[in-house]
Formats: sequence, structure tokens, C-alpha cells
Amino acid sequence: MLRISYKSLIVINEGTVMDQPNVLEAQKLTKVYEDGLCALDHVSFSVKAGEIFCLLGDNGAGKTTTINLFLGFLNPTEGTPFINGIDVTKDPLAAKQHVAYLSDVVMLYPNFTARQNLDFFARIGGRHNLKRDDYYNVLRQVGLQEKAFEQRLKGFSKGMRQKVGLAIMIVKEAPAIILDEPTSGLDPKAANEFLAILHQLRAQGRAVLISTHDIFRAKEISDTVGIMSEGKLLAVKTRAELEHENLERLYLDYIQGKVAA
Amino acid sequence: MLRILLEKELRDIIYSTKFAITFAAAAVLVILSFYVGTRNYHESVREFEAARAADATNISSLNDWMQASHRVFRKPQALEVLVNGVTNDVGRTTDMRTSGELNLINSRFSADPLFAVFRFLDLNFVVIIVFSLFAILFGYDAINGEKEAGTLKLVFSNRVSRASFILSKLLGSVLALGVPLLIPLLIGCLMLLGSGIPMSGDEWVRLGFIMFAGLLCFGVFLTLSIMISAMVTRSSVSFLLSLVVWIFSVLIIPKGSVLLASQVATVPSMDVIESQKRKFSSDQMARRMKEMQQWFSTRAMSNDTGFAATFGAFQDSVMKAYEQERANFYGRLNEDWRNKKDWQEKWAFGLSRVAPTAIFQIAAMNLAATDVEMKYRYQQELNRYQDGYAKFIKSKTGSMADYMRVVIKRYSGTDSQEEKKKNLNPTEIPEFLEQPRALGSAISASLLDVGLLVVLNALFFAGAFFSFLKFDLR
Repeated sequence: MLRISYKSLIVINEGTVMDQPNVLEAQKLTKVYEDGLCALDHVSFSVKAGEIFCLLGDNGAGKTTTINLFLGFLNPTEGTPFINGIDVTKDPLAAKQHVAYLSDVVMLYPNFTARQNLDFFARIGGRHNLKRDDYYNVLRQVGLQEKAFEQRLKGFSKGMRQKVGLAIMIVKEAPAIILDEPTSGLDPKAANEFLAILHQLRAQGRAVLISTHDIFRAKEISDTVGIMSEGKLLAVKTRAELEHENLERLYLDYIQGKVAA
Repeated sequence: MLRILLEKELRDIIYSTKFAITFAAAAVLVILSFYVGTRNYHESVREFEAARAADATNISSLNDWMQASHRVFRKPQALEVLVNGVTNDVGRTTDMRTSGELNLINSRFSADPLFAVFRFLDLNFVVIIVFSLFAILFGYDAINGEKEAGTLKLVFSNRVSRASFILSKLLGSVLALGVPLLIPLLIGCLMLLGSGIPMSGDEWVRLGFIMFAGLLCFGVFLTLSIMISAMVTRSSVSFLLSLVVWIFSVLIIPKGSVLLASQVATVPSMDVIESQKRKFSSDQMARRMKEMQQWFSTRAMSNDTGFAATFGAFQDSVMKAYEQERANFYGRLNEDWRNKKDWQEKWAFGLSRVAPTAIFQIAAMNLAATDVEMKYRYQQELNRYQDGYAKFIKSKTGSMADYMRVVIKRYSGTDSQEEKKKNLNPTEIPEFLEQPRALGSAISASLLDVGLLVVLNALFFAGAFFSFLKFDLR
């Protein structure tokens, strides 16, 4: 259980997600690049508080484009991304106040210590009054060794940097969390620790959107799985729907067009 | 938000090993340039004093002003040692004559050819080579490096505007790198103070401007490389581009502009001018010999003072006319050459101003008064002194004609034993006092270039700013 208090968040039991409000919402998101490439084609879905939504797809399926639209790094050609009800295209800065993000590349600032990295990102995330102990507590929660708290990130392994990244994500206390291929490159132990923390975040009522191409982890962690291919969201399956399904088979059937979207 | 980002930028730079190493190298070189400069100055002063003493000894060993051969030596200036400019190429010694052209001989490089090959380490070199590289090393991946490290997306997943980010990046880089560079510069100034180099208030002001221009030059490379970093996605590409810009700026443009200018505005070589002068002079000598023969043919040679005086008067009048004629011809040649040279220099400097390093160099040389005009300014000073010297010699010998003084002496009949015993007093010779370039003149000459550096800083700052507003954060 996370030791930091998230007073603004409510602890949600599994099964009550459907009653929660949409924290992340994609409404007919479409992205066509200048060269005519359609990266995203009318993609709609929502992620509620206390829900983990997994976007599953190959490289080029449109997962990262979807995330980039939520973070305001791209403007949609059509459609609207919402974070906590705020239209990202209209007020990206206000929307970003409600989201924490972690990418697959978590190099962070190698000349800063783990605590200094955390301090910087906490402050730009709007958390100005945290003390050294608060940072240490979060770093402990994510499983970073104590001796590494005040060490520069230069010598950190990817797993250690990922933990600091998680701490950065946690410390923002945002209701929405977006993770882009978070477990890629992590060893099984580190990946399991990472997923355990995601479960805790879900329990606290965070809405979590994850992009991955790892079918097994998607099934293990998700409340809802969205199967994407060539910019389209082909199917959205809940945990209950997937319980007796072979997700790998289903995924392959969808992307090979054997099942109608 | 800007404060948080700025603080991060400062820390990120100052905590880095890259900063520690490059700053230490830059600091050592800056301090070394001051150290080498002060040593060179003292060495030059010693040589100057020794040469003057030798000249005085030489004169005091004589007993007739007609035999005196006075030499004038260029006094080392304090700022020359920090910005060498053309100092080491310009002759330091002049054989003073009462008339005719004065030549500068015995330049530092002609005396020490090894230094002509490897040059001296001066502040100018440090700014042009070291500061500019220092700036590029920190600027080339300022933006795209953060993208590659994933921190850009992480930062912009927060409530951070692009404007505040790029402003913090630019201001942070300038502060974190520029301010520390002031430290070795100030240490260098303290070394100057402690080394006993006499620096006037004007010279301190000029040194201040040189350092300011140096920091501006550094700023140009920093903002330029940050701009490139905001225009190119990959840091390896931006490093390559920055390096190409550096090579062009430091090596190719300054040298290329001189070559191009020599093609656009041709100037006859000094050898051609000298051979024209020699031909004129030998023609003149032939005519003069003819006139002398005519003069002697109409008069009987005599040892009496009347004859010597008449001959002296004839020589003076002939000399005056010939000198005037020669001065007019040489003057025309020199003026024509100078005009062409000026035009060529304008082209060369104009073209070279594409490179920030060349802009700084021109500004620094103007401020240190070691610019290409240095030789002409010094020659003007010598010419002014020559008038006074000629009057002094005439007051002592009765004639201004150098090489005819011996002839006059031979026929003067005043060569008494008593006079021979009286040694000459070299302190009677009017002292050559070189007027340093006025502060106002030095500043106004460098204003254009300092202004250009300011404009380039603003231009690349704005370029980096607007490039980043369109930068693909993904």
C-alpha cells in the first residue's frame, strides 16, 4: 500500500469502476499528417477513475499518437481529447495539470540525483512545498534503494531510472496517468514491481492509460483492453469479457481482419 | 515556472562533468593568456629599455651631431599583450632621419620567427577558439538532447509553456556558462594589477570592452548552437552542423574573405611600389650628380669656410627641392597604394564579418589599438616626430641633409681637437612620445562590431525561441 496520502483521491474497489466519471476521454480522435498518412482514424474511448485501460497494438498502430494527442504534443485533425473534462486542444496547460506521464525512454537528468530529479518534476507539476523526507518516502514506495536517493542518475540502470520515473508520476498526484510502453526493456522482476505499483494507483482512483504491445501484461493488468491496428481502435474488451478469451488469438484475429471491427 | 526551469538549467549545467572539464580548461587558458601576456610585456619593455640605452650609449660615444644616427623604438603597450593583432608583424625600430621615408624594422616575428609560426597565446585566441568551442559543446544538444533523453516530453506533460522553457534554456545557458567565464577574466585583471603593468584608466575601460565583446562572441555561438539544436531533431546532426559553422567561422570565412577581397580589389605588392621608388630615387640621384658636377665645374674647390657654407647652402636647396619632389612622388604612390589597400581591407573586413569570430577580432583589435591601422598611426607619429628631429639636427649641424653632413663637415674646417673631446648628450634629442589611441576613437571604431555581436545575439536568441515554438516535442 502506498504510504503517501492522496486526500483528493478515493480508494475504489474493483467492480465499482463503471460508476466513476470519465477522467480520460477520446472523442473520435483523428490524426492525418501533412504527407497524407492517417495515423489515427476516429478513435473513441474513455478511462474512468480507478480503471486501467490498455491500448494494445503493434508499432505504428496509433497508440503513441493517441497519447501525444492527450498530452497536446500533437493537434488532432478531428475529434477531441479530454482530461478531467478539459478539452486538451483548447486549454492544454490546464489539462496537463491533471495528468502524469511516463514514457519508455526515462533518461531523466543524469547530473541530478534521484531526489533532485523528483524535486524538479514535482515543482513543475505544481507540488511546491514537499520536503526532502516526502521525496524519500515516494522513492521508498517505488522500491528504490535508500543509498541511491542522493546518487546521480548517471550510473542508474534502466529499472532504477524507471522507478524514479514512477516516483515522478506518483508525486504529481494527478487523477490521470498515461504510460507509454512502461515495461519495455525492464527485467521481469522490475516489470512486476512496476505493475504492482500500478495496481495500487488504480486502487487510489487514478485513471490509467497504458500503451503496450505486450499482450500478457495487458491482460494481467488491465480493466479494459483496446486493440489498435493501423490507426483504428478495432475492439474494446473488458476484463470480464477477456476472462475466458485467449487475448493473443483475439488480438491476432483482429489485426489480421479475421474478426470484423 | 520560469524560475524553476531556470534553476534547473543552471544546476544541470553546473553539476555536469562536461562543465567541470571544459570550464577548467577555459579558465586555465584565460589565466594563461594573461600570464603569457604580462611576461611578454615585461620582456618587451626590457628589450625596449635595452635598445634605448644602447642608442643613447652609441650617441654619447660620439662627439659630433653630424655623425649621430638616432634610432626610435616602439614602446610596448599594455593591451597589445592581450590582443596581439598586428603588433608582432609591425617593426619596432626606426632609423631616424631628418628627411625621407621612415621604415619600421625588426618586428617581433622577424626577430623570433618561431613565434610567427606558432603565434602567441593571447586573449583574442582564447575567445575565438576556446570560448566558441565551449559554447558549441553546451549548446548543440540543448533542445534535441532533451528530446533524445525523454525529458522534453516529461517536462511538457506538465503545465509548462514552450516560451518559458526556451527562455529558461537560453538565459540559463548564458548565465551558467557566461558568468563563470567572468571569473578567470577577473583573475586575469588582478594579475595585470599585480604584475606592475602600467594601465591607464582608458586602458582598463578598453579592456572591459574587449571582455564584453568576448562574452558577446561567446553568446553568439551559444545562442546559435541552441538555435540549431531547436531546428534539428538529432543531436549528432546538430553537433555536426555546429562544428561546420565553427570551422567556417574560425578558419574558412576570415581567410577566404581576405583571398576574395584580393581578387575583387587588387593592390600592387610592396615590392612593386618599392621598385618604383628605387627607380625614381636612382633617376633623381643621377640628375643630382649631374647638377653637382655642374656646380663644381663652375667653382674652384677650397678649404675655407666660405666655400663649405656655399656648398652647404647649395646642398640644402637642392636637397629641399629633391626631397620635396621625392616626397610628392612617394606620397602619390603611397596614397594610391593606401587607397587601394583601404578598399581591399574594407572588402576583406566586410566579408569576414559574416563570421562572429572575425567580428570579435576586429572589435578587439580596434579596442586594443592593434588593428591594421596601427602601423599607419605609428608612422604618422614618427613623421610628426621627424619634423622636430630635423629641426633639432639643423640646430646642431646647420643642415638637415643627413648624408651630406659628412661632406659639409669635411669642408667646414671647424674640426678642432677641442670640439672632439665633447661627447654628445643623448638627452638633448627630443624624446619620441607616442600618443596612445584615444579612448573615444577606439570605442567608436569598434562600435559597429560590438553592435553586430549584440544584433547576432538577439537574432539567434530570437531564432532559437521561434524555432522551439515549432519544435516537434514527440
